[in-house]
Amino acid sequence: MTAVIAREPNLRTRLGGLDLAYPTLMGSGCYGSGDEYAPFIDLAGIGAVVLKSVTRAPRLGNPTPRLVQTPGGLLNAIGLQNPGIDHYLVHDVPKFAARPCGVIGSVAGFSLDDYAYTTEKLGACDEIDAIELNISCPNVGSEGETFSCDPRLTHKVVAAARKATAKTLIVKLSPNVTDIAAIAREAEAAGADALAVINTVRGMAIDVNAWKPRLGNVTGGLSGPAIRPIAVLAVYEVARAVSIPIVGQGGIETVTDALEFILAGATAVSIGTGNFTDPRAPIRIAAGIRDYLTERGLASLADIIGKANVGFKSAVRGDEG
Amino acid sequence: MPTLHIGPMIQTTQVIDRREPGPGIVILGLHAPALASAARPGQFVMAIPPAGVQAAVALGVYEARDERVSVMLVEAGPRTRALASLAPGATLELLAPLGNGFFLDDLPEHVGIVAGGVGLASVLLAAEEIVRRGKRATLYYGARTATSLVDRELFAAAGCAIECATDDGTFGHHGYVTDLLRAGEAPTLLLACGPTPMLRSVARVANERGLRAQLSLEETFACGVGACWGCVIPLDRASAQAPNFPEAGADESRSYVHARICKEGPVFWAHELHW
Repeated sequence: MTAVIAREPNLRTRLGGLDLAYPTLMGSGCYGSGDEYAPFIDLAGIGAVVLKSVTRAPRLGNPTPRLVQTPGGLLNAIGLQNPGIDHYLVHDVPKFAARPCGVIGSVAGFSLDDYAYTTEKLGACDEIDAIELNISCPNVGSEGETFSCDPRLTHKVVAAARKATAKTLIVKLSPNVTDIAAIAREAEAAGADALAVINTVRGMAIDVNAWKPRLGNVTGGLSGPAIRPIAVLAVYEVARAVSIPIVGQGGIETVTDALEFILAGATAVSIGTGNFTDPRAPIRIAAGIRDYLTERGLASLADIIGKANVGFKSAVRGDEG
Repeated sequence: MPTLHIGPMIQTTQVIDRREPGPGIVILGLHAPALASAARPGQFVMAIPPAGVQAAVALGVYEARDERVSVMLVEAGPRTRALASLAPGATLELLAPLGNGFFLDDLPEHVGIVAGGVGLASVLLAAEEIVRRGKRATLYYGARTATSLVDRELFAAAGCAIECATDDGTFGHHGYVTDLLRAGEAPTLLLACGPTPMLRSVARVANERGLRAQLSLEETFACGVGACWGCVIPLDRASAQAPNFPEAGADESRSYVHARICKEGPVFWAHELHW
């Protein structure tokens, strides 16, 4: 071991202008938009919560069933059920006035105008520290994911949101594309401060007795450990394409999972489906990252971000094989 | 002892007993003092599975007395198998208590309790409460086969009359448990928990015979606390349980909202469901 470190490793990290005490986030759609999880976790132990996506108009969401468990995964098609931005600003946003962690609002939409409108309204709230632009929901028909599947549209929608708010803008990308690096470069060029990589992977499950899809929406988005290698690769590819920070996400349940993403190039990680096993996962993972750095005599998270890109093997004893 | 009112929280419990009353059915007794005094009839818990097993499992609060609570598991997959294999001494963490529970403020003289399979786990506390209040309770209990009809003596001890049905006719009525509600003088209030087809059938019978029915719904939960909106059910817009949600979409003729089974429920009035 190297010299004894006088103080604990520094876990602070930054996404654009957003300073996070811990590099762990609770992912959008998995924390809700209010205080549902408040009794179960101490938010002072995580970096930020990402709220459920809100749209310009209220949405009833998809027909049921909306969830199917699959091996190592969870297939969902909620369909962005939300009360719409006007109701949300009055009834939900005030609940976040005194949160001891970062609060990231999530905006979804169906047109450039939608995204700009909702981003401007939500971005104007003191309770909201940053905006995540959900341009990659796979469960609202083709229009929902269109923006993150076309580099030119990605550029346009990010530029529209950029004009609508000065707050930190995180753009959430879809894995359901041919070249995620090209999309990421457009988001960066249009003014994104950070990227969230990845949203769910499109999937389907069929009831072989009923001869029909198991989701009311027919198709859904797959999350959970089943998609982790897909997400790690996406983070690795995006990290080599852009210079803005990345929030890595996709099937993270343990500190080892989180470290994979960080070593692939993520500046922070987001836990979504993992909260459904234990909502304290983000807190446990932050503690685990601290232990990992301490054991290796490293001073800060920055010492390991993206270190799987080059020269990793020679940097670690006993791993040359 | 006064009831201790606690909100939902993560409760660390310890397995203190384990029994297998029927094939593939395991009952875990837990030392859980706070939950034992706080749980209302029809509430549930999310049980955090042992490390390495994905996703918490929703379980009805079965028994609750003194400092002990129990839950009933049917071994169906890796999660329930992992939980069912816990031995006395093991720690089990729960998000609890969750959900609204049955509405028992206004009880008629005779209440029918309809349970199918593991749905039995959500109705014992209600049966006890009905009898405690000086009302008559009848359990209508259905399962596939005689050996899957478990713990009838617990309900008898609670003061319930019991009528059974099995799919294969090996015990009681040969057929559906809801057949038992179609004949004779039925209770004017039904409390039901079991598989969705059974609940739909209870709702139909209640409608035909002019009975009121509360259904404890079963659905795949992800979070169990109202965060993910994965477990919704179309509920009458005028229901007292309808979430405060503005008109969605252009279809103003729509008379329902999507309510969360885990949060606004799991117990709903049958006549308020649009299914």
